[in-house]
Amino acid sequence: MKKIPTGWLLALLLTLCFTLATVFVPRVGWWNAVPRAADWNKAQSQSDNVFKLLFGEGRRLFANEMFVMADVYFHSGYYPSMFDRQDTDRDVADPAHGQADDSDSTSDDFLGPPPDWLAALERQFVPNRHTHLSSGGPSGHVKEVEVQEILPWLKLATDMNPQMIDSYTVGAYWLRRLHKPEQARDFLFEGLRNNPGNTELLLDLGQLYLDDFHDTNKARNTWLAALRCWQAQDDNAKASVENKRLYGAITMALAHQAQVAGDWLQAIKYLEMVKQVSPYPDAIQKQIDEAEKKAAGGQ
Amino acid sequence: MNTIWALAGVVIKELYRRKDFYVLLVLTVLLTILAGSVVFFQDPNIVRYIKDLCMFLIWISSLLIAITMAARQIPAERENRTIFPLLAKPVTRGQVILGKFLGCWLASGAALVVFYLFFAVLTGTREHYWPVLDYVQAFLLQWIMLGIVTAMTLLGSILFAAPSSTVTILFIVAAGILFLGRHLNTVALHNPEPIRSIIYTIYFIIPHLELFDVRERVVNDWGLVSWLACGLATLYAAAYTGLFLLLTWLGFRRKSLT
Amino acid sequence: MDAILRTENLCVEYRSRGLKLEIKPALKELSFSVHAGEVFGFLGPNGAGKTTTINVLLGFIPPTSGVAYLFGIDVRQPIARQRIGYLPEMTYYYKFLTAEELLRFYARIFGLPSTEADQRIDRLLKLVELETARKRLIKTYSKGMQQRVGIAQALINDPDLLILDEPTSGLDPLGRMKVREIIQRLRNEGKTVFFSSHELGEVETICDRVAIINAGELKVLGRVGELVAQHGANLEKVFLDIIGYQPQTAL
Repeated sequence: MKKIPTGWLLALLLTLCFTLATVFVPRVGWWNAVPRAADWNKAQSQSDNVFKLLFGEGRRLFANEMFVMADVYFHSGYYPSMFDRQDTDRDVADPAHGQADDSDSTSDDFLGPPPDWLAALERQFVPNRHTHLSSGGPSGHVKEVEVQEILPWLKLATDMNPQMIDSYTVGAYWLRRLHKPEQARDFLFEGLRNNPGNTELLLDLGQLYLDDFHDTNKARNTWLAALRCWQAQDDNAKASVENKRLYGAITMALAHQAQVAGDWLQAIKYLEMVKQVSPYPDAIQKQIDEAEKKAAGGQ
Repeated sequence: MNTIWALAGVVIKELYRRKDFYVLLVLTVLLTILAGSVVFFQDPNIVRYIKDLCMFLIWISSLLIAITMAARQIPAERENRTIFPLLAKPVTRGQVILGKFLGCWLASGAALVVFYLFFAVLTGTREHYWPVLDYVQAFLLQWIMLGIVTAMTLLGSILFAAPSSTVTILFIVAAGILFLGRHLNTVALHNPEPIRSIIYTIYFIIPHLELFDVRERVVNDWGLVSWLACGLATLYAAAYTGLFLLLTWLGFRRKSLT
Repeated sequence: MDAILRTENLCVEYRSRGLKLEIKPALKELSFSVHAGEVFGFLGPNGAGKTTTINVLLGFIPPTSGVAYLFGIDVRQPIARQRIGYLPEMTYYYKFLTAEELLRFYARIFGLPSTEADQRIDRLLKLVELETARKRLIKTYSKGMQQRVGIAQALINDPDLLILDEPTSGLDPLGRMKVREIIQRLRNEGKTVFFSSHELGEVETICDRVAIINAGELKVLGRVGELVAQHGANLEKVFLDIIGYQPQTAL
């Protein structure tokens, strides 16, 4: 029998492996499709997927890298390497970076002046300006649809690590900006299946119902669920800065909902909750006073 | 010059009669098509990750082709004793080196053209536009980089005992330079003397292959690199290629043919 | 008569690579010449220095001392090999080429115009009886076919001097006869043939002059007929006498 060349065998094997991977991943997703009510209040569930099988716990590292890749794509490749991040003078991990507005900022230039002629030459061949995809990227022509390019990495990050909440929230945010509310909703649902009772996801879901589906009832019910889940946590968890911020955001959203609906007593109740955690209690108190006036005035 | 072209022609024939190129091409195509068949969020227009993956595979494949082809040229001639009837003709060892280099480089370029054509077709069907000049520039820069790698590998084939050693070492060196080369100056600045000087010396000595890596620009639509910068990079590549070929000739001149 | 091939006090020493510096002399002050138009046999036992001499003549290894000339040009100059053809003992050629491609490659090295190269390739493939196999890859050839490809490539530039290293080695009797015919034909055309061989019967038949070397030294040089007459025996006996072979006596 004629011997099959080794190279062809290798190619065949690799094709088979990747075909199996693409077949199994959607099927694994289907296994997790039906939300189990009994699991809703349990600790976050770990979904078994092909990445966990392949990579074990190392998948979390890969998931982090996938998330970083999304950011790299958002900046069209202009991104500090791990060597650049060693320099603490240039804080590229600043969470306020780029959030205030979408405009490009040379003050966020992590590169600094080139240290030698070779580095100066190299900069001609790599992305060398701070840009955001949402504000046109390198070309400057605003085509917000280009932000979709970051989505595969966010999806891969969640596939690698279903407990990576940021991937779901960031992905949903950009899907909404791309006028894809259904996909954003489904993505948040997926996050909730993998992380039952996660308050951040519920908060974002509620906002999605309100802003994109204009469904105030669903929005309110989702925020109420978020509030219940938040209150079900132990005291230690509640005391964290991030959790307090979430509590403040949920109760503020409910308060605003109640104000719009004219339910001033409810609004006051929620504003009191906000005041407990808000860094601006005086401003909240003003809102409470106004609501009380309106409640008294019968408006 | 006729002799050098004749030798180059033999190397090119060897490329398309061996299976390596076809296996790598099929792998690249298959993996890219598989990746492209996945639809994220019901949006078939998401294309950059496919471009990124495809270009990454092209780089890996082209490096493999260039290194494996160049690594076996001189050792195979000696092992198979085809060097004897060749040098019995009015051919100098220098012409053999140049002919092998030219053949490997042209063959790598031919393989690269096929890869880039596939890349252009793939991305064009998704993006519905063809930044042809960008692709041409990326191809030219990568091809020039492969010239340095080919020359380096020929030198390695003279220095190291077996083609497998040459392939392994050169692949690690090339990958190391591509991933770390541009950061060595940053690393140097974060270290005390004398380590700083040592790292900085290495930084200036190594051929900076990553200079020719414009994948980020192509994937993210940054447009063309200035042709002046390309010209400078080409001169830089020519200098290193010439140096490696000279060292190869000096080594091969004194080497036994058996 | 001008010497086509000439060596003067040719010495080659091989140095060992180990810590202990050992010098092994392969050729010791070898001096001989080959004239135009003759068939010259180069004989010696295994390890005598025949292949080393050929390697020096072809520029594969430099001599430690002494000089060698081809057509009056120092063998270290590549141009010295413009008018020679070489058939190595072990016939290895690029297996991924066909016979035709191999010959075209070598023709290009010699700078032959393409039309002339085409004609010569056709003629040579007919001469070595490889016309039907010209488009097949060399890796599919038998040993005999590869030897014939070797003869064809040695003749591609219509050389004035042919250097053959064991040309009939590994060939069947028919193959050996064909090689002898080719050598005869070349002599008739006025070409010079220099070859080493262990087949003393063949050498006695076709050679005009022979040189016998042993342990790197030239032991005897002369016309075949004169040597045979001088020693009163055939060439094999002459050879054995020269190299000092003593048959073992029965116990």
